[in-house]
Amino acid sequence: MDPKWIFQIFLTGLVMGGIYALIAVGLNLIYGTMRLINIAHGELIMLGAYITYWLYTICGISPLLSIFIVLVSCALIGLAVYKGLFLSMIKNSKSVKTLESNSLLIFFGLSIGFSNIACLLWTADIRGYTYMTRVVHICGVPLMYNRLFALIVSLVVCLLCYTLLHKTMLGKAIRAFIQNKEASQLTGIRPNLIYKCSFSLAFALAGLAGCLLSMFYEITPFMGFPYTIIAFITVVLGGLGNILGSLLGGFILGLIESLGVNLTSPGFRPILTYSVFIFIILIKPKGIFGRGVY
Amino acid sequence: MKNIYRGCLFLILLCFFLLPYVASDYYIALFFNVLMWIALTVSWVILSGYSGYISLAHSAFFGLGAYFMALTWSYLPYLLIIFLAGVLSGGFALAIGLPFLKVRGPYFVILTLGLTEFVKFIFVNLEIKLGGTVGRVLIQTPSLISLYYCLLIVSLASIVTAIWIKRSKFGVALLSIKEDEDTANSVGINTTLYKLLAFGISSFTPGMVGAILALRHSYIDPYTVFSPIISFQVIVMAFLGGVEKVHSAILGVVMLTFLSEALWVRYPHAYLIILGVIVIIVVKFMPLGMLHYVEVILKRKIHEFFTSS
Repeated sequence: MDPKWIFQIFLTGLVMGGIYALIAVGLNLIYGTMRLINIAHGELIMLGAYITYWLYTICGISPLLSIFIVLVSCALIGLAVYKGLFLSMIKNSKSVKTLESNSLLIFFGLSIGFSNIACLLWTADIRGYTYMTRVVHICGVPLMYNRLFALIVSLVVCLLCYTLLHKTMLGKAIRAFIQNKEASQLTGIRPNLIYKCSFSLAFALAGLAGCLLSMFYEITPFMGFPYTIIAFITVVLGGLGNILGSLLGGFILGLIESLGVNLTSPGFRPILTYSVFIFIILIKPKGIFGRGVY
Repeated sequence: MKNIYRGCLFLILLCFFLLPYVASDYYIALFFNVLMWIALTVSWVILSGYSGYISLAHSAFFGLGAYFMALTWSYLPYLLIIFLAGVLSGGFALAIGLPFLKVRGPYFVILTLGLTEFVKFIFVNLEIKLGGTVGRVLIQTPSLISLYYCLLIVSLASIVTAIWIKRSKFGVALLSIKEDEDTANSVGINTTLYKLLAFGISSFTPGMVGAILALRHSYIDPYTVFSPIISFQVIVMAFLGGVEKVHSAILGVVMLTFLSEALWVRYPHAYLIILGVIVIIVVKFMPLGMLHYVEVILKRKIHEFFTSS
C-alpha cells in the first residue's frame, strides 16, 4: 500500500465527488420541498456545459467567468419551469402520490424535450475544449489544473450551501419545510418563496456542475441522463430530504467509485455504482446517515 | 348494449387476425408496434396501475427476454424460447421481488430504474469480456407475419390476464394496496404475497415481447434492449389513457403509437421534442388521463344530440 497511490485515489474521488454533491443537493431540494421527482436534472448539467462551451469557443469568455453566467441563466430556467409548469400543479394536486407520478412524467417530457432541442440546435457531435490542462503536483500526485479548480469550486459551493441552509433564516425555513410542511406553514413560512428558492438553487447548482464537468469531460446533448441516475444514487445514499447527507453522500460515492475503478477497470464503474445503490436502498432505505444529520 | 359492445370487440379482433392477409408490410409493421406496446403497457398496468407501485423495471425484463432469445436461438424452436423467456423474466422478478417490493413510493421508482441500469451494464461488460463485441446478430429469423401472430397472442393473453385480475379478488387486493397499504395489511390482506404475484405476472410479458423483438430486429445490443426509454414510454402511454383501466391504457397506446408514427414521418428531427411537449400538455391539463375527457365529451355530445332532437 503506497501512500501516494491512496492519496491519488482520494484526490480523484474528491474531484468527482464534489460534482456529484452539487448535483445531488439540487435534486434533493426539489424532492424534499415539493415531492417532485426530477428526471430532467441531468439535462440542466448538459445545458450548463453547452453554455460554458459556447461562451468559451465563440466569445472567448473563460469558464471561470462563465460560472456566474451559467448560475444566473440556469436559475432563471428553474424559475421559468416552476412558474410555467408546477406552480398550479402543486397547489391543485390532491395527494402526494399523484404529484410524484405526474411530476415524473412532466420532467420526462422536459428531459426528452431539452436534450432533443440541444441535439437539433447543436448537432449530436461530441464536443470539448482544452482549458487549464497544465499538470500540478500535489504531494507528488499529478493532477490537472482544471480538475483542481473544479474541486476547489465545488468544495467552496458545498460549504456555501451548508452555510446557507444551516445559518441563514431562509435555509432554516427550507429545512423546516422539508421536515414538516404543514407545521412550518403555520409558523409563517411562505411555501411559494421556498419553492422558488429551491427550484432556482437546484437548477443553478446543476448548471454549475455542468460548467465544471465541461472542462474535462466531453459534451453531448445526451450526456445528462447518467448524471441524473448518479444524482438519485447520491440522494438515496445520503437520505431523501437530508441535504447535508447528499453533500457527504456525493463525496462518499466519488471515493467509492475511484477506489473501485482503480482496483478493477473503468468498465466496471457503473456496475459498482449501481450495486452500491441497490445495496443501500435495500439495507438502509433511509440513507446511511438515517435521520441523524439534518 | 352489451351485445353491441361484444360485437365491436369481436370485429376488432377479427381485423387484427386478418390484417396480414390484406395489408402491406408497412401496415403490418405499424400494427406490430401497436401490439408490442399494448402487451408491454397492459402488463405494466397489472403491477403499477393497480397497486400504485410505479415500476421502471420493464426494460430490464424486456432486455432479459431479448438476450435469452439471442443466446438460445440456434438451439431451440423459437416458440418454446419465447415462452421460456417469459418464464425467465417472471422468475427473475419473483427472485428479486421480496426485498424490492418492501421499498415504497419514490424509492421504488428509483430502485427499479437503478436495477435496469445495473443489469444493462452487467450485459455490456459480459459482451466485452466474453464475446469481445458490443452486440449480437440473429440470422434466419422467422417472417414478420409469423412474429405478428406470436405478438398478437402474447398481447391478447396479457389483456385477458389483466382484465381477469381486475375482476378477481386479486385485483381488489391490489387496488387496496394503492389506496392504503398499511390498512390493507391490517384487515388481513396478504399484501406481500399479492404484490409479489403481481410483479411476477407483470414481468412475464415483457420477457416474451423482448424475445419476439430480438427476432424482429435480428440485431440486439445491451444499450438498445435495456434502454430506460422503453420503461418511460410504457408509463407515458399508460398515463395518457388513464392508469387503472385496461381499455384506457390500450387507448393511450394506440393514440401515442399512431401519433409518433405520423410525427416521425413528417418531422423526423423534431419528433421527440413534440412528443415531450405533448406529454407535458397532457399531464398538465388532463391529469386524469385522456380517456376520461374523451368520455366526458362523448357523453355531453350524446346528451346534446338527444335533447336537441
